[in-house]
Amino acid sequence: MEQETILQEEFEIKGGDFLNGGAASCQIKNILKKIGVDANILRRVAIASYEAEMNVVMYAKKGIMRLVLTPQKIIIKVDDEGPGIPDIELAMQPGYSTATPEMREMGFGAGMGLPNIKKNADIFNINSTVNKGTYLEIMVDLNNKNE
Amino acid sequence: MSEPIYHSVKIDETKCIGCVVCMKACPTKAIRIKQRKAWIIGERCIDCGECLRVCPYNAITPLTTQASDINRFKLKIALPSPVIYSQFGPGVMPDEILDALKDLGFDYVYDKALACEMTSIAIQKYLERNPLPRPIISSTCPVVVRLIQRLFPSLVSLIIRMEPPREIAAKNLRRELSREYKIPGYDIGIFHITPCPAKMVSINRPETMEKSHLNGAISIKEIYNEIMSRLKNREKKFLVQTQSQVSGIGIGWAISGGEIMGIKGDSLVSVSGVYDTIKILSDVESRKLKNIDYLECLICPDGCIGGPLTVENRFLAKSTILNLIRKFGGKSRVDTNYVQQLYEKNFFSFERDIKPRPFPPLDPNKNEAIKKLKKKEKILKTLPGINCGVCGSPDCETFAEDLVRNEQGLTVGRCVFLGESNL
Repeated sequence: MEQETILQEEFEIKGGDFLNGGAASCQIKNILKKIGVDANILRRVAIASYEAEMNVVMYAKKGIMRLVLTPQKIIIKVDDEGPGIPDIELAMQPGYSTATPEMREMGFGAGMGLPNIKKNADIFNINSTVNKGTYLEIMVDLNNKNE
Repeated sequence: MSEPIYHSVKIDETKCIGCVVCMKACPTKAIRIKQRKAWIIGERCIDCGECLRVCPYNAITPLTTQASDINRFKLKIALPSPVIYSQFGPGVMPDEILDALKDLGFDYVYDKALACEMTSIAIQKYLERNPLPRPIISSTCPVVVRLIQRLFPSLVSLIIRMEPPREIAAKNLRRELSREYKIPGYDIGIFHITPCPAKMVSINRPETMEKSHLNGAISIKEIYNEIMSRLKNREKKFLVQTQSQVSGIGIGWAISGGEIMGIKGDSLVSVSGVYDTIKILSDVESRKLKNIDYLECLICPDGCIGGPLTVENRFLAKSTILNLIRKFGGKSRVDTNYVQQLYEKNFFSFERDIKPRPFPPLDPNKNEAIKKLKKKEKILKTLPGINCGVCGSPDCETFAEDLVRNEQGLTVGRCVFLGESNL
């Protein structure tokens, strides 16, 4: 069932911009704090959106992150233009990473990005086309206050 | 919501003229100017003491315990923060300071640095027993605990579930002294000698226990002159009565990085200062920092030696502490087995968990909050963005937020650039 959107915000993410990496998810976090979202839900959204944002920064040319809020759920949609993921199943495996040695030196590339997003989402959808880009949808149920 | 929120500072309305200095300095935007006086919003204040440091009119008073209050008790105990060793110059030894302190009217002075060493051992045990999630965050600074409750409520569960050294020391002392002097525990008054007023909050409104083990906290500033005069008049061959067993590990707790000095581990991080603490906690919240085991955050710059109730220049104080650490060495004389026994008996543990206490949202109703958020964005676009504070809110964004929160009598006309100032 489609639910009424009560808030929608859009944030641009630049590929390779490590300097500002994390800014979009930080803004999302601040919005959710202002409207009084439960602490556990906030943490899950913060982690999932940060991982998704950093995937765009690390691998894609550019992307857009959208925050959609309905009375029942928070949805984060990330749409990027980039190399895409050839084998999603493989990318979802904990520890699998295509990060370069440089990225690893910066502390990224532990291969936990997508698994972490999945772990913190109630529903997680991912679509990818090689050489075009990746689309992620992360849904967190506002009524599910458990881990 | 029944009890009013207790804070460790009070604004003296006879001195406050309603300038914007404290309001601008407040890291949590907890101060407003109304009718030419500063007002603290209870739910937003974390007792960091920044306002106390910056007030040009000396209009902000710390609500610490008066030294004369100790006379309410039969047995009077001083429990000084190791910061006190840094306040009287590099040549004065801890034992001399403890003796001078005792001479102010205490029956007994306990070197809190010893409890710091005990706590270091207990933290080590806790880290071994609690592998995940990480990082575990120190509970030592009461302002950091309050900051997490308010601004980072989702991190509350990462705070180590162990009391800080001042509470551990007081708990142990009351037990032992009551036995030794054969008097009931309530006849013993245990007073922390403190570099910051925030301890008053953790004493009067403890988060993790029914009642604090401490009876009060006396400001270092308040007793500074009296200790100094005693130290000045001491004879050359001053017979030191107090023989502290302390090592550099305990003394180190006075500075940033001191707490983690006594713990083994690869990834122990120390942060100090209110802005850097907010920054790192924000990164922890997003799991940007994944591989940290233990995070020591102290709200004052360079740690407790930078507390608002200290006297000595904090760079000199730091140098003195570093000298003492070298002099007293890194080998603790505290009995590890004894501490482990206490640990197993949950002697260090919280009685109850810390609750998240987030800042109030724009509206208790989520839909209303979102409407207000949109309205706020709209108002913000009409404001000049100068952030002057003349309207009585610390910056344009907070002013817009105050407007949609329906603060009584607040209109956009308060902005000096848009309308007539009613300040």
